[in-house]
Amino acid sequence: MRQAGSYSGILISGKTGPHLLPLARIKKIMKKSGDGVKMISGESPIVFSKACEMFIKELTQRSWMVTMQGKRRTLNKEDVASAVMATDLFDFLLNLVSEMDTSKSS
Amino acid sequence: MAEDAGASGSNNDGGGGGGIKEQDRLLPIANVGRIMKQILHPNAKISKEAKETMQECVSEFISFVTSEASDKCKKERRKTVNGDDICWALATLGFDEYAAPLKRYLGKYRQLEGDKAAANQDHNSNIEDNIWRGIN
Repeated sequence: MRQAGSYSGILISGKTGPHLLPLARIKKIMKKSGDGVKMISGESPIVFSKACEMFIKELTQRSWMVTMQGKRRTLNKEDVASAVMATDLFDFLLNLVSEMDTSKSS
Repeated sequence: MAEDAGASGSNNDGGGGGGIKEQDRLLPIANVGRIMKQILHPNAKISKEAKETMQECVSEFISFVTSEASDKCKKERRKTVNGDDICWALATLGFDEYAAPLKRYLGKYRQLEGDKAAANQDHNSNIEDNIWRGIN
């Protein structure tokens, strides 16, 4: 038997270095997306893992710009909300951030 | 419309402290936080609430894209959502900057699988590294 290297890792467990997000959890979230989502190919969570990484990085960068405008060093949730509101691409998050805002009384 | 986005109202007191179900629909805060830190300065700090907000946003992102991909499958009478559908959904929803590199990655990943199926023998363990380097 040959040694298990990172090559076998990517196909067997998906738990290789580059995957920063748990594939099984991604799959669960995908399944809860709606009634129609029943079967998901094995590659889908892997694609999403990378997509989510990109998404997190982009939203974080935009949020940080708001933090800097406020001359602060700590990125807080209001900065994330501001970034969402300022970016058309993130319109799908508007409900989410406005609801979180309302529940916390400032 | 956002009925199962987790914003059901009752779990929204500061986030993070929910039960098992709550955690199940979010990606782990440690992983999310790590990715956030990757692109910020070493001096930058991130509040716990900001990480929690990001967790929620990512789950919403996954649902949003998956729904779109799933609709496409329904129209085409396919039962399984695959990587191509996700790339297509990303491009359709405005995330075309993500779609392009992801398509490349997906192509190489499939090639890798094809090689494995065909050979199942000694294989160059650098293939996976090359996938990442090629994308980055």
